[in-house]
Amino acid sequence: MNFNEFRYIIDEAGMMLWRRKGANIISILIMGLSLLVVVVFVLVTLNISRVIGKAGTELRIFVYLEDAVDGRTAENIQYRLLGMKGVEEVVFISRREALDDFKQSLGEGSDFLDDLEFNPLPDAYRVKLKPDYLGSRFMERLGAEIGSWEGVEEARYGKRWIERAEKLVKGFYMVDFVLGLIIFFSVVFVISNTVRLTVLYRRKTIEVMKLVGATNAYIRTPFIIEGALQGIIASLLAIGLLCAVFTAGCRYLPELVFLGWEAIVIFITFCALLGAAVSFAAMRRFLKI
Amino acid sequence: MTTHSTRVVVGVYHLTKSFGKQFVLRDINLQVANGEFVFLVGHSGAGKSTLLRLIYMDDFPTSGQVVVGPYVSTRMQRSIIPQLRRRIGIIFQDFKLLEDRNVFENVALAMRINGTPMGEIKRQATDILTRVGLYHKRYEYPPALSGGEQQRVSIARAVANRPAVLLADEPTGNLDPVVTRSILDLLFKINAGGTAVLMATHDLDMVKSFGQRIIYLEDGRIKRDKEMIYVGDLRERIAESKVGREAEELGDHDLSDRQEE
Ligand SMILES: Nc1ncnc2c1ncn2[C@@H]1O[C@H](COP(=O)(O)OP(=O)(O)O)[C@@H](O)[C@H]1O
Ligand SMILES: [Mg+2]
Repeated sequence: MNFNEFRYIIDEAGMMLWRRKGANIISILIMGLSLLVVVVFVLVTLNISRVIGKAGTELRIFVYLEDAVDGRTAENIQYRLLGMKGVEEVVFISRREALDDFKQSLGEGSDFLDDLEFNPLPDAYRVKLKPDYLGSRFMERLGAEIGSWEGVEEARYGKRWIERAEKLVKGFYMVDFVLGLIIFFSVVFVISNTVRLTVLYRRKTIEVMKLVGATNAYIRTPFIIEGALQGIIASLLAIGLLCAVFTAGCRYLPELVFLGWEAIVIFITFCALLGAAVSFAAMRRFLKI
Repeated sequence: MTTHSTRVVVGVYHLTKSFGKQFVLRDINLQVANGEFVFLVGHSGAGKSTLLRLIYMDDFPTSGQVVVGPYVSTRMQRSIIPQLRRRIGIIFQDFKLLEDRNVFENVALAMRINGTPMGEIKRQATDILTRVGLYHKRYEYPPALSGGEQQRVSIARAVANRPAVLLADEPTGNLDPVVTRSILDLLFKINAGGTAVLMATHDLDMVKSFGQRIIYLEDGRIKRDKEMIYVGDLRERIAESKVGREAEELGDHDLSDRQEE
């Protein structure tokens, strides 16, 4: 391939895009809208998993001490807790603090507690686990072990609640994954058909080029460039629309986060490659060149 | 096979073509010499288009061989086909022009694809468009042209790379008699410049008065070649034909050149 041929190929790609503006704009709109579905899905998944992750890190194990426990035993328990695998932080909560907290959480209706002659709550340690160790299985094992120690009345971590939440989260990710697959393949299908139509539409151009002796590279390259450009423009369109959706959503949910710029770059690159690949495949399949 | 001692630009040898069980061409043998003008005549379905397609190697023979210059069908690679196509010009009944490009760009396409420099393309396209009488319409788009004009553009494109042979598949099939005549004249003119022409047509009446070599194809076989069996008919028609004088000259010339076997 000499320089002129190279220049003409680029020129052909520009000509294809420009001379068929109308058809191209429609293709790009179709692609952009279907890609919008993808990015909205990714954004929603991202935000939900963030909320789930945050909720997970709030989990604590409460180690309640026996009433009669003396200071040394209590201290011992604290050291043993700190020495355990997966423990990040241990905080002592005295029975008085616990009662105050409880009163505060009840608010207005807490007056009846003032009539109590004694504090029914025990002293306790609040144990925070490292993120990797959060999970009902590990917490159950830990709880059972701690519960058997001398001076410990019981260790609690909201077993029922956690197990239910975990099931729910697992279910969510499974549905989310399947939905993601369906959306992904639908979008690839829509895009490849859109591009295929573009290629079919230019069947005659391709036929004529073959007749006059154009090489496959000369015929194919402009289509691949066109496919890649369509992918890039459509992905930018989708991101632009997502910005609008995001801004609107933030009015109701100010804690929403947007896609990171790495994700956006990967997305645009992916769309460029998808456009090019789909264009290439359409040419192969329909034109046998 | 012929008295011409010149080079053979298209050779077809023991060619058979079938699509599944249907034989479309059987044992075809023919040669087109450098600078020769040949009509390939046969009814619709006789196999003319198929034969031409095998010559420009859009398809390949079931058995036998096609030879075009240095290119041999039995030893052809897909990647070489573009090179072959640049050495031959092809025109069709439906012109096959790109409607989103103007006349100049349609002609230029044939030269762009082999990387001809822009200046050279401009010069060459100007020259050819002048020769086909369409230089003044170089910025028009095909839909704005008449059928005859469109065919002229497609001829200009076909000869842009100065091919040794021009293949024409019913090039006047969509045109009225007057325009047909002018297109044939243009093809004769191009032929006079040294380009061999192989033109397929179903219209024997139209071409038999010209006295060129006619290959008659019937049911996939060559019925007649070389013999000038239409001579009597030709003489008869000379008187009534507007183009009688020309046809006579051409005819006599070819007659003397071709009577042998
Ligand atoms: N690609 C093909 N597949 C099957 N049959 C074909 C194909 N091309 C041509 N034919 C058959 O070959 C015969 C000759 O066709 P064609 O060469 O187009 O004739 P002509 O150009 O003389 O009218 C026809 O019967 C046609 O149906
Ligand atoms: Mg035909």
